[in-house]
Amino acid sequence: MRYMRIFLWGCTVTLLATSLGWAQNHNPVVEAHVVVATDAVHANSPLKLAVLAQVAAGYHINDHKPTLDYLIPTELKVEHSDQFVVKSVVYPKGTSKKFEFSDVPLSVYEGPVVVGAVLQAGKEMPAGTYTLKAKFAYQACNDHACLPPTNVPLAVSIRIVPPNVPLKPVEPDVFRRIKFE
Amino acid sequence: MEEQTPIDNTPEESKAPESSPSESPPAPKSKILVGALLAMVLVVGLYYVNRYWIEPAVRAQTKGDGSHPVAPPFSLTDITGQPLNLSDYKGKVVVLDFWATWCGPCRIEIPGFIELQKRYASQGFTMIGISMDDSPEPVVDFTKELQMNYPVAVGNDRLGELYGGMPGLPTTFVIGRDGRIYAKHVGATDASVFETEIKELLAASPADEATDFHRAGQVFAEDKVELGDPATIDSEVPGIDLTKLTADQKEAFKKLLAGQQCTCGCKFTLLKCRQVDRNCSTSKKLAKDQMDAFLKVNSTGVATK
Repeated sequence: MRYMRIFLWGCTVTLLATSLGWAQNHNPVVEAHVVVATDAVHANSPLKLAVLAQVAAGYHINDHKPTLDYLIPTELKVEHSDQFVVKSVVYPKGTSKKFEFSDVPLSVYEGPVVVGAVLQAGKEMPAGTYTLKAKFAYQACNDHACLPPTNVPLAVSIRIVPPNVPLKPVEPDVFRRIKFE
Repeated sequence: MEEQTPIDNTPEESKAPESSPSESPPAPKSKILVGALLAMVLVVGLYYVNRYWIEPAVRAQTKGDGSHPVAPPFSLTDITGQPLNLSDYKGKVVVLDFWATWCGPCRIEIPGFIELQKRYASQGFTMIGISMDDSPEPVVDFTKELQMNYPVAVGNDRLGELYGGMPGLPTTFVIGRDGRIYAKHVGATDASVFETEIKELLAASPADEATDFHRAGQVFAEDKVELGDPATIDSEVPGIDLTKLTADQKEAFKKLLAGQQCTCGCKFTLLKCRQVDRNCSTSKKLAKDQMDAFLKVNSTGVATK
């Protein structure tokens, strides 16, 4: 009876692993979304946001400053708008890794990737909700093959409130880890 | 010095009392038995999976059974300005390499291809490189840097789709003297694999299909040759076969897509998104769903007439 239980457990684990592997093959290599550091923003003030990306297991994307000239860098491209002006973008430090296809170790991002940005909200912005659009541009490879350069479209709603309304922090742990200057 | 206590994972019920050394503890034995049983099940399982599933699939693909499709013809201009038509190489063995300068695994294959071109060009073989870069500049620089000795052209999405889409680069096709595709290799592949296949195809007759061709190297699921359908590739709504529709239905379907917003974030209508970004999987799926619904409604209408 006990062996049967162990055997059934083994089968369950195997089935789960197989289905997870299948799911991985059919999901996008990179998923990303945006988080703003506060629940609302004041006009004429800086605001911080973070792009939280997840690179699928087995794949990597290039560092923002790639090791070799020919590699396509990872980039956060914020759509130009009159409401929000990009002041700076902070990319994480890549991990140095050796691949079969390269003689030298390459600086890459794997797993979770957090890109931060500081923007300035416009001076005369009336209270209300605005949509900020951006793209997370990357080019992914595994050890044997590469996928074409891709953009993940991003959009986030930003609520502008009067200056007397206090702002509440959102996901402070995420923003604490980003090295904003 | 304090000694570290070993972790005992043995289940309580199988633990033997320490005071009875004559009885051997059954716990390790049971674990070995379970392990052996699981290993046996795994081995037997793998054997049957291989015998009834993987092997027949591989055999169907690697052995000639009339299943080697004819390579889609194309006409491009190579990076030196010369015309590059696949039909000009009829009667030769061709290795057609889809690659890009930004792709590390693609770059590492190139010296091997240069060597193959040196060795076999005089025997009726040619390499052809189709770069999937956006512009020719980096390609020209790279071909000069590596002194590539075979024709290279910048390809396009349509050509990639005709060859079944590019799940990843490099994707390389081995084409026989008869113009059929005998193998597809996705990902960096050792030059020796191509060499084996080239030799076999050079020995085959240009008039007949090489029915006894055997693929070299490892075979992966994505190596299956599945060509694109020109009816969907060259459609007015790329990716959607409109050939089943009448002229009026075609217009009505395009109007339907033009009235809907694509949800991929492109800000275009579904029709426009399909036309400007044929790689957009969101608009492709939405348009396909619309076509299924459209055909259902229209075929019902035809049937009741």
